Amino acid sequence: MTISKVLACAALAASFSRAQMLDPALLGKPAVDAWPTYNGDYSGRRFSTLDQINQGNVKHLTLSWVFRVKPGAHISTIVGGEGPMPAEGAPPDPDMSRIKSTPLMVNGVLYFSTPDNAWAVDARSGTQIWHFFWKTKGGIHIGNRGMGMYGNWLYFETPDNYLVSLDAQTGKERWHKQVADVKQQYFSTPAPIIVGNHVLVGTGGDSLDVPGFLEARDPETGDVQWKWWSEPLKKGDPGSETWPDEYSMRHGGGMTWIPGTYDPELHLYYLGIGNPNPVLTGRSRQGENLWTCSIVALNVDTGKLVWYFQPSPHDTHDWDAVQTPILIDGEFQGKPRKLLAQANRNGYFFLLDRTNGEHLLTAPMIETMNWSEGLNKNGQPIPNPKKEATVDGVLVSPPTWGATNWPPPSFSPKTGLFYVGVVEAYSLFYLTDTDPHPEGYGAAERDAGFISGRLIAIDYQTGKIRWQHKYPWGGGAVGMLSTASNLLFTGDPSGHFLAVDATDGKILWHAGLADDIGNGPETYLLDGQQYVLVAAGDTLYSFTLEQ
Amino acid sequence: MPSKSLSIPLCALLTLAHIHAQEAPKYDAASVQRGKEFFVSHCGFCHGVNAKGGEKGPDLLRSVLVLDDENGSSLGPFLAHGRPDKGMPAFTLTPEQVTDIANFLHRAIYAAADRDTYQVHNIVTGNAQAGEKYFQAHCASCHSPTGDLKGIGKKYDPENLQDNFVMPRPEEHGKPLLTISVTTADGKTVQGVPEHFDDFSVALRDSAGNYYSFKRTTPETPRIEIHNPLQAHYDLLARYTDTDIHNLTAYLVTLK
Repeated sequence: MTISKVLACAALAASFSRAQMLDPALLGKPAVDAWPTYNGDYSGRRFSTLDQINQGNVKHLTLSWVFRVKPGAHISTIVGGEGPMPAEGAPPDPDMSRIKSTPLMVNGVLYFSTPDNAWAVDARSGTQIWHFFWKTKGGIHIGNRGMGMYGNWLYFETPDNYLVSLDAQTGKERWHKQVADVKQQYFSTPAPIIVGNHVLVGTGGDSLDVPGFLEARDPETGDVQWKWWSEPLKKGDPGSETWPDEYSMRHGGGMTWIPGTYDPELHLYYLGIGNPNPVLTGRSRQGENLWTCSIVALNVDTGKLVWYFQPSPHDTHDWDAVQTPILIDGEFQGKPRKLLAQANRNGYFFLLDRTNGEHLLTAPMIETMNWSEGLNKNGQPIPNPKKEATVDGVLVSPPTWGATNWPPPSFSPKTGLFYVGVVEAYSLFYLTDTDPHPEGYGAAERDAGFISGRLIAIDYQTGKIRWQHKYPWGGGAVGMLSTASNLLFTGDPSGHFLAVDATDGKILWHAGLADDIGNGPETYLLDGQQYVLVAAGDTLYSFTLEQ
Repeated sequence: MPSKSLSIPLCALLTLAHIHAQEAPKYDAASVQRGKEFFVSHCGFCHGVNAKGGEKGPDLLRSVLVLDDENGSSLGPFLAHGRPDKGMPAFTLTPEQVTDIANFLHRAIYAAADRDTYQVHNIVTGNAQAGEKYFQAHCASCHSPTGDLKGIGKKYDPENLQDNFVMPRPEEHGKPLLTISVTTADGKTVQGVPEHFDDFSVALRDSAGNYYSFKRTTPETPRIEIHNPLQAHYDLLARYTDTDIHNLTAYLVTLK
């Protein structure tokens, strides 16, 4: 380390005198005594090196505390936002009470959000430190994935598309910046990801036909540093050959719903992109529709596209590719590689070389899948055009909600296994908008049969399912956490929080919660003791070993 | 085996994945109708009668000006001037006419954006004779066109008929989807409708309304048997072609 770097570090350390400060060095390595970003670290593995809780003592896991959210404006609530104040006594939108975010844990404090709400909670006791409420102008309130942190500043997004920055110490607002227009049916769900001095901000909304994007914003001012559109902007631009015309690409969807992952050595941010629009009919957008339903690698300093791989070319079933692209450093065919793996909503598992996007492997995760005619030479599934919605209906598996969905999967470098919840089901797809220029979804879906829900462990080197656990009743996409002691934490469809043997799927411990788990579980060391934290419904549950 | 009647887990899953529609805005139907009539006669030539755009005028359901408008507050001043450089004339309108046009356009935008309100068209496209043949080969061991399915084409509209044979929904008629029997280690068997079933316990209610629950000490103990009368429907999901489904629908609608 050079002297100037040492001095810079000392200055940084001095500026971190307040207890809540986040040391940015934490973001690049596996979480131990913190959970400083959505996935715990940049890799997206949701793997912890902690092993205090192990297969031998996990049965002694016990409830430390619970914290139940009370969203809305209360006496001690800090209120922001540009919308009207909700009428007194009006019940809060139930979606504000569903915790889907993975809380940050920094210096003993948990920070998490639901639509329009953010909290700081003492990780030792579950005591509320502050609560922030955002008066909304509207937007769909389906969920919020959580917050990002830079030094003492917190960032979260709102359903009416503001990026809001709060002081972590007090919960007071520093500023808010509009990211997208709620009137155009954008609504924002992602947790901002902080890389260097970039706050990476995505958006969502596919009810009407608007284009998606990712922005990098300045952590101090909130100003835009760069903006990457998920479709080419004009004819002749790279990717425009996959759209019939400028009009279709400018209305082509491609939302950035879920946070991505980052390789600090390659300087690349990996992001899964949402489905094209109109969603369920492709008549007005013939072609592959880049970069919808793609995994893209962006230079984090410039926002320039470096490579892409498209798991669902010309999607017509709402199978966005936003599922966490997990970064794996491991062997493939006997050679160490920098890899990227994704369990995709379309039913396939993909393995890529993350330095250049080279396709390495495609493997089916479910048996009912009936939409693909096989793989092309690039390893992409070939959509069967007969399985696109028709007026009289077509039977498709998986349904729009996919073989899996946004809840975070996990990869353990100890077992070499990728853990994900999958579902086998069918839907009928009916074309409803027969206009040559359909809009919105353009087709209706009717559930047509639920076959099974399973927890599967995929060998990343072969794509083969090493073990699986089929639930007797229901099941599907659900959050995962793996640890160095070969434990896998997840939830079943009957409201149980589970600790599973990561090597064979045997259930080692379970606790019944008041609801199905709704986020990705996390773990951290606090005062030398390992905790496991999970959300179910409107409540956070903190578990630790009996002392 | 699990299915849609196992509503708790499935609903939980859907809330993960499905976008909820916002509360439906209310538009005065008469105003929407007046707006539509004005629009068709004055604007449809350029913008298309459904406002989705025509040869000269843009799609107004994707127009940022229209999307950002509230109750005509932006549309009114815009229409008063038009866009002469692009051939869009000015209109002299009463405030009520502006409101009517705004209501028509916002209602149309809402209809495009809210997929829960999409209407399925006429789906009877299949060959009834081929459908009857399929029925005889695959359905007739359980069902009869003159027995349990007599008049089925009158009872349901074609869409519901198709949805219901692809996946019947007995729970919507207050009937259990399936029953289970649980046999304990000492050989006692209880049969009924499952109330709960996971890796740790199983519970059911018998025909007298009594509730029983059992700890599952191993996956095999107690022994649990599932009786799913719809199993044949589940099995067909992987075997149907879409043409089979359409032909069957065309046949079943003839059973008046």
